[in-house]
Amino acid sequence: MNASWDIFCCVVDNYGDIGVTWRLARQLVAEQGLAVRLWVDDLGAFVRICPQADPTAAQQWQQGVQVCQWPADWQPTPVADVVIGAFGCQVPPAYVQSMLERPTPVLWLNLEYLSAESWVEGCHGLPSPQANGLRKVFFFPGFTTKTGGLLREASLLARRQAFEQDPSARQAFLSGLGVQPEANARLISLFAYENPGLASWLDALATDSRPNHLLVPEGRILGDVQAWLGESDLAPGSIARRGALTVQILPFVSQDEYDQLLWCCDFNAVRGEDSFVRAQWAGRPLLWHIYVQEEYAHWEKLEAFLDHYTQGLSAEASAALVELWRAWNMDRDVGRAWQQVLVHGSELDAHARRWCAAQAAQPDLATTLVQFYRNWL
Amino acid sequence: MKTGKELKPGTVLRIDNDPWLVQKAEFTKSGRNSAIMKTKLKNLLTGYKTETVYGADDKLDDVILDRKEATLSFISGDSYTFMDTSDYTMYELNAEDIEAVLPYIEEGMEDICEAVFFEGRLVSVELPTTISRQVVYTENAARGDTSGKVMKPAKLKNGTEISVADFIQIDEFIDIDTRDNSFKGRSKK
Repeated sequence: MNASWDIFCCVVDNYGDIGVTWRLARQLVAEQGLAVRLWVDDLGAFVRICPQADPTAAQQWQQGVQVCQWPADWQPTPVADVVIGAFGCQVPPAYVQSMLERPTPVLWLNLEYLSAESWVEGCHGLPSPQANGLRKVFFFPGFTTKTGGLLREASLLARRQAFEQDPSARQAFLSGLGVQPEANARLISLFAYENPGLASWLDALATDSRPNHLLVPEGRILGDVQAWLGESDLAPGSIARRGALTVQILPFVSQDEYDQLLWCCDFNAVRGEDSFVRAQWAGRPLLWHIYVQEEYAHWEKLEAFLDHYTQGLSAEASAALVELWRAWNMDRDVGRAWQQVLVHGSELDAHARRWCAAQAAQPDLATTLVQFYRNWL
Repeated sequence: MKTGKELKPGTVLRIDNDPWLVQKAEFTKSGRNSAIMKTKLKNLLTGYKTETVYGADDKLDDVILDRKEATLSFISGDSYTFMDTSDYTMYELNAEDIEAVLPYIEEGMEDICEAVFFEGRLVSVELPTTISRQVVYTENAARGDTSGKVMKPAKLKNGTEISVADFIQIDEFIDIDTRDNSFKGRSKK
């Protein structure tokens, strides 16, 4: 009999927490044949990334995953063989008590945030013995073999390759979203938090010699886009043109559709954790808007990733890319940095492919989690 | 009870009824304003050592410990002997037991330390929050900066490197905050 897994997700804000846990749950079911329950405290957020879900159901089955509303008033439920508290969320005390009382031990994992910082390797897989006698284990995703790896479905890169080799599939997908770019337009996706640096980037795109078509899924950056355009009430389907730049607002799409969007674009601006990883699997140059932390702790995370990512780039291309990422995250002149990045476009394109391939050569997060459980047994 | 973020060297936790001494504690922001504490623990009954990680808000049982004032008496190899200032009793610790404060332990230091006892046995030593140490080497000030904002590395007597203000010169004494190993300023003595 296959092991049962419970994943607890507390939606703090945005869609990163639910995005990662939903993706993980799906993969554990589809590729490992596991029985997975996903406990979510905010089904409204879940429905945004899984539109066919019912936001009112106490429990429902979606793509083989039992998705449960995490109730404030916790009711007794059988404990799973493996329990994952995602991103430090507090598993219900009554459930923890049930873990203590279970005749056979439970593997309790604390799945942490993604970071390229060096300390992650030293903390990955370490135990966390609790006062009540249970032992949690900290599990860190990451970019090296000394971490838990990144979420990546087994068929992901093959699906991407098939999509890329089928121009009609690309055309059909874009048409479905109402996107009809000029033949030689640079296609860019933009998913970000609010960012004062956006205006200078859009200025640069609008004055470019090549047409740029910017695709903006609904989200927090929309206000800045509207401010730059001098328009209000932009909604999915809205299209605005300024010089060489076409701005098009898209609906919030499902995870699978978002992957396809990333595959269609020449350049992807992403944010947080889930879309950041997916953009890397797209094998395209990317720009990361990192989640802001207290005391600028996110800057160290940004630099740590850049240290990894820029290895193998020429000094000039590396400097241009680093400056763009810093400008985007540190309120500097993004437009000027963007123009420098364009100079190294072909090198950055090839590098993104290499980075993707190198990361794909490492075990993925779902596989390492399952392997960790097998070793623990 | 202590939370994960309150752990520091010298804390003793009770885990599965065994006393575990925190020998080292490193605080790290992990993401979305949450944080973790990586610790090195030593079982005070068996001597077994392990590394652990705690969330900043994890609640842990700590053991109430006896504390006495003590000063460093002498160093012999990896052995550090401290003297109880009230009754002159000598206590010996090895380098691993005081790993967290080792960078600032040096012959001749006069700091009044806090010796930490578990069931009558000395298990750790804590330094005062502020200590004064002499700089034995540092580069000359690059641009004559006096603001204290420009920093440079400096070496202490026992080889420890610390980042100090650019205006600090060789042989000067500096104040160090032992909670975060940061340079506080030029010593007044």
